[in-house]
Amino acid sequence: MQLHAKRLVNIALFELVRLFLTKRGLLAVAVLSICWLIVLRYAIGEAVNLLSSPDIAGFIDQIFGAIGLSKLLTWPEAELAVYWLIALYSFPIFCLFLCADQTVGDRQRGTLRFLSLRATRAEIILGRFIGQLLILIVLLSITLVATLAMLTYREPSLFFAGSSRSLVLLGYLVVAVMPYIALMSFINTFSRSARLAFIVAILFFVGGKIIVGLLAWTIPALEVLNYIFPGYQVADMAAQDAGLMLAVGLPLIQTMILLIFAERMFARSSL
Amino acid sequence: MSTLIKAQGVTKYFGSKLALSNVSFEINTGPPVALVGPNGAGKTTLFSLLCGYAFPSSGELKIMHQQPGNAHLFGKLSALPQDAQLDPGFSIIHQLTFYAQLQGFSKSQAKQESDRVLELVGLSNAVNQRPNDLSHGMRKRAIIAQALIGSPQIVLLDEATAGLDPVHAREVRELISTLSNQATFILSSHDLSELERLCGQILHLDQGKLTEHNALSQSTSNQHFVTLRLAQKYKDVEKKLFALAGVRNVHNSQAKEYVIEYEKSVEAFDIQLLQYCHQQGWQYQQLVNGNTLENQIFHKEH
Repeated sequence: MQLHAKRLVNIALFELVRLFLTKRGLLAVAVLSICWLIVLRYAIGEAVNLLSSPDIAGFIDQIFGAIGLSKLLTWPEAELAVYWLIALYSFPIFCLFLCADQTVGDRQRGTLRFLSLRATRAEIILGRFIGQLLILIVLLSITLVATLAMLTYREPSLFFAGSSRSLVLLGYLVVAVMPYIALMSFINTFSRSARLAFIVAILFFVGGKIIVGLLAWTIPALEVLNYIFPGYQVADMAAQDAGLMLAVGLPLIQTMILLIFAERMFARSSL
Repeated sequence: MSTLIKAQGVTKYFGSKLALSNVSFEINTGPPVALVGPNGAGKTTLFSLLCGYAFPSSGELKIMHQQPGNAHLFGKLSALPQDAQLDPGFSIIHQLTFYAQLQGFSKSQAKQESDRVLELVGLSNAVNQRPNDLSHGMRKRAIIAQALIGSPQIVLLDEATAGLDPVHAREVRELISTLSNQATFILSSHDLSELERLCGQILHLDQGKLTEHNALSQSTSNQHFVTLRLAQKYKDVEKKLFALAGVRNVHNSQAKEYVIEYEKSVEAFDIQLLQYCHQQGWQYQQLVNGNTLENQIFHKEH
């Protein structure tokens, strides 16, 4: 596998620029901004009012306790607690949509033929993966900053504590979305369109989990197969119950394996 | 003269369909090489293998002693792949600058280099346009420009002038001719007169097999043939030409065109032939010294 750092950086930055220079990229940013505006105004804003209301505090405690999220109630930065829950579940889905066209569109159009005369296939796969990751870091940062602004507006004294918690959340969220991007890198190597890649990803999660469920029902030891699905650790992470190995180690291992599969598959395919 | 490309027993299957069968050849640095053959003969497949877009099912292919697609070939081998399109999301200068940066240029050098190659293909006024805003011919020229970035030693052009208007097709031919002392061009085209004008070597593919591999100059320098094209149809031309002293055979290759084979001992046969045409009142359009590439290939296939 040949990797050249400068070419990798060039490919990744070209993808990052795509977000701000192309109609598709701007559309994705617009959709995300509108969705998060609604989430911030109604979901987070209203939820924080409820969470901080002494009248129904007992009721909320019971609900959050029942679904294993009681640790989140201890956060003084209630906005970030609600953000954490929404972002942890919504960004992976958004990521599947955003990263659906990493190489497939260029392969169908023939654009990869220009690129492959100047960069190895490993560089193309990895460079595009890094590019998509950079895009998601930018988008996650924007939503986090907006949430932090809301928090600071409600309670200015929480700014510093909120900022440091935001950085930690950003780190966890970035690691959490990595295997989803890598999964789309892999699916892109054999899919015939971005839409098909998205459908294959959904089928992988829905169909795959049904199959693993049936297998585990027959042979309980096969429950271990659940580890192949990106996001397996998300429920534990949401409740702040995931150890470092589960919250960071598992998604990093999944990402690495998926990228190796993607590179091997891409190296063997015709452009 | 060094060996640039060496193919030994290259075979390529697409599923059960045989696209290339046991193809062997060598290409050295030098004048442009023509890759000719009918549709489906395997020309684009061979280009794809040379560029590393696809892999041979068997056999060995080396470009400058490297496997196709190897990083050592970046910047040394460039191509105009058939049907490949630039990204519609970005301006052509943005994309070419990106490609130049991948080839090792700094950002400012890459921009200058992109401007240079776009000027070479006459697109200086359209650098900031996106591919979808350009005509088919302009898009093609932009893609030719990307193949000229840097100093490639091998340039593969698959149907470079197809779809271009006559003026720009001529400009591209002139460009190839001008640059052919800096790089070895490998051209595929259905315009045989174009290839004849530009190339010094020919690879003829038919049904996946390499049926001819020789120097074009050898074919055309064969002094036993002349090809005469008349302005209009005249009566008994074939019969009258055959009656000329030293003529061994006359073949009406296509409408108003005659391939004349004559004894090598006859001196200044072409002069005699033109004088005879004048005597007969035949107006001629063209007299080719030798057999045209088109006739050579056509006779080989039929």
